[in-house]
Amino acid sequence: MSLEEQQPDAEIEAGKTRGDELAELLGDLVIGREEHLNAPGLVIRPDQVQDALFKLRDEAGFDHLSCVTAEEYEDRYESIYHLTKYDDRTDEVSVVVPTSKDDPVSQTAEPVFRTADWHEREAYDLVGIKYEGHPDLRRILLPETWQGHPLGLDYDQDRPQIATLREHANPLEQDHSGEEGNTMYINIGPHHPATHGVLHVETVVDGEQVVDLEPDIGYLHRCEEQMCQQGTYRHQIMPYPDRWDYISAGLLNEWAYARTAEDLADIEVPEYAQIIRTMSAELCRIASHMIALGTFALDVYGDFTAIFMYAMRDREIVQNILEDLTGQRMMFNYFRLGGVVWDLPEPREEFFEKIRDFLDDLPTALEEYHDMITSNEILQARTVGTGVLPPEVAKSYGATGPVARGSGIDYDLRRDDSYGYYDELDWDVVVEDGCDNFSRLLVRMREVEESAKIIQQCVDLLEDWPEDERNIQANVPRTLKPEEDTEIYRAVEGAKGELGIYIRADGTDKPGRFKIRSPCFSNLQTLPEMSEGEYIPDMIASLGSLDIVLGEVDR
Amino acid sequence: MSATLQTTLPDTISGLLGLEGILGDVVGGLVGAFIIANIMLITTAIAGPWAKRKITAAFGDRIAVNRIGPFGLLVIIPDAVRLMSKELIVPEGVDRPAWDLAPMVIPFSALLGFAVIPMGSGIQLADPETGLAFAFAAASIASLGLVMSGYASNNKFSLIGALRAVAANIAYEIPLVITAASVVIFTGSLRMSEIVAVQAEPLLTIAGVSIPTWFAFVNPFAFVLFIIANLAEVGRNPFDIPEAPTEIVAGYQTEYSSIYFVLIYLGEFIHIFLGGAIAATLFLGGPAGPFLPGFVWFVIKIWAFFLFTQWARSAVPRLRVDQFLEVGWKGMLVLSFANLVLTAIIVGVIA
Repeated sequence: MSLEEQQPDAEIEAGKTRGDELAELLGDLVIGREEHLNAPGLVIRPDQVQDALFKLRDEAGFDHLSCVTAEEYEDRYESIYHLTKYDDRTDEVSVVVPTSKDDPVSQTAEPVFRTADWHEREAYDLVGIKYEGHPDLRRILLPETWQGHPLGLDYDQDRPQIATLREHANPLEQDHSGEEGNTMYINIGPHHPATHGVLHVETVVDGEQVVDLEPDIGYLHRCEEQMCQQGTYRHQIMPYPDRWDYISAGLLNEWAYARTAEDLADIEVPEYAQIIRTMSAELCRIASHMIALGTFALDVYGDFTAIFMYAMRDREIVQNILEDLTGQRMMFNYFRLGGVVWDLPEPREEFFEKIRDFLDDLPTALEEYHDMITSNEILQARTVGTGVLPPEVAKSYGATGPVARGSGIDYDLRRDDSYGYYDELDWDVVVEDGCDNFSRLLVRMREVEESAKIIQQCVDLLEDWPEDERNIQANVPRTLKPEEDTEIYRAVEGAKGELGIYIRADGTDKPGRFKIRSPCFSNLQTLPEMSEGEYIPDMIASLGSLDIVLGEVDR
Repeated sequence: MSATLQTTLPDTISGLLGLEGILGDVVGGLVGAFIIANIMLITTAIAGPWAKRKITAAFGDRIAVNRIGPFGLLVIIPDAVRLMSKELIVPEGVDRPAWDLAPMVIPFSALLGFAVIPMGSGIQLADPETGLAFAFAAASIASLGLVMSGYASNNKFSLIGALRAVAANIAYEIPLVITAASVVIFTGSLRMSEIVAVQAEPLLTIAGVSIPTWFAFVNPFAFVLFIIANLAEVGRNPFDIPEAPTEIVAGYQTEYSSIYFVLIYLGEFIHIFLGGAIAATLFLGGPAGPFLPGFVWFVIKIWAFFLFTQWARSAVPRLRVDQFLEVGWKGMLVLSFANLVLTAIIVGVIA
């Protein structure tokens, strides 16, 4: 722990100059300064949010609103806009907007970044900050009838809540019927074969074409943020990330927490553990992409078809490898702060052999998929040119992961904000610029190949690693108590995109505020953009191509 | 002409029972219909709960039912009990008579079609001069059932499903019938036994093996057209638009449970077999085939068509509804008329 002091100093020093620059750019708009571990913080008046964000976006190039964190303090409310750039992920700035305690009203950022729509709705829902000028400030995760804001300080958990069905009455609005023929309102979901979980899509159709569409989320809200706030850093939080994106992406999620908490508490992870992490995380990515591929095929093909089963079969091999490694099939709980919980299973040769066998068979399997899916003319007719998401729109909605890369945005945190062992390895970021459902499918299929390349190199490294240097965990104190009011926002490349976590330490062994930036949450917001004017089947296909997991959307 | 006619099943039965006149017709007809209906119901019982699972599983690299009986075959019984003992849920606001009638119209229209199909070994219920037209007409009654179920269900998904079903039937029934008409140009008769008889003549002989004049050999193009239109007609991938489970839940059958669900499902399977039976009669020589009895060949042929639909279902993506109709109106219709005109010209020139 002697290292504890060194790194933050360097970061703060580098940040300071950047912070000064940006403060200069904004001039009088800045009323104060803060320092977050990941970025400089600029304090802005609540009625000048848009001015500041427009300036940062247009003049300083911060085109990615990664996350909006809201919190209630004893003396104020605070919204933090975590801004960064698609071209340079390491260039970050936090725009801090405090509002008064008795009238928490802050200007909305929605005109600057479309993604702020849902993020601010969530902030309003859970914390209670009102955003002036927001187009549709309703609750998003909780039912409309919910009383109080659960993450607020004066929230009474014992208060009985009555959620009636009244608010789910037909919201068909006057402007949808009338001049252009008759429209029909249908509820697609929450119990529908193609919504991949409990998603409710309120859809207005004209014949079979989607006129208006709004995803209604929150059915799977499990208070993950609050649960994390009640756990201690060292051990009690790590099991939760497995349950966000629970479709076999567990280790990728665990890494998001591990990275954030390690940077917060300044823990250095041994190289050997980093390689194990990288390898196992990429295995998770393959498993996750296999599911995405299979369910997308399911959406386009119809019933449970051969492709879905093939994808499940290949995913099963990965799951077996992960089970050997972690002892679990889905809820791994394998990472620890400072490393991983245990070393590779013995006999190591057998384990490596298993991975190698899988990697050897993978090209044949992928070729089979390409034969059956991507080269199928009907599938091409169904997916090429449908669900189009232009890059500017994708950026405005904060789309990340395969969704962004399918729209030609060359953005991958593994490379752009490197962590783990990725920058030591030889692999490529997959980008397709078709912007349609087909591109997103292709991106995932090609990413499986890249992941295989990474795993291959990791296996080679691990095999030759000297036996007495297999250090799987750094020396981490039993109780972690990061300094009060240290704030950090860190993200990793999850299976669906940028999975970020914001932690504010309050001097205890539990986080003061734990905020999850879910990639699916932002990606799902693009669904109306992609689907309006298209047929229902294409909307379903677009939804499938977004590859959302409701556990992560709703948290 | 009448010399080539086979004795129909009712005549055989009344002959065996020694009954004559109207009594013979009635008893023979009823017993014959009972036998044929049961043959089809048994076929469907094997196809629905067992064969479909096994076939789909084989395509998807799975094992499927294998616990009860040889190859899991006896799963049919518990499945039947399970399906029939489920609660029949009647949603609020359904249009009662229509909603109840639809599940009956769908399977019985398909069964009706089998009345004129020559199944070989003397199993044919009736052999009217308009046999082929009757088969198509009977099969089309199902569309009425689909509209009834979709409209009466008081469910938007059902309604969309019914509209799609009607659109599909209109778009694909015309090519289907037109293509069948090109066969009639060859045979000069709509009578099913006649169509089968014409195909029995040898087309050519290679090394002592004579190949019959099956119209699939004479006009393979028409055969392919017919099979594709038939897929759409029975609503299987890539044309399973009316159901499209991932899009509109289950289409017209969304609101049906228990025995009504069984009836609709039954109807779909019998429809597949009817589609196979018409295709076999028109293009594959009906029940003809070497060595085995005619009825066995007939069963083999309709099961081959069933297998084909299941293969398509497992491997071919579904078209979008507009693409589906486009293929029907702009592709199939044009091609089927071209086929008809060409066949007419060629037959006219040769004759």
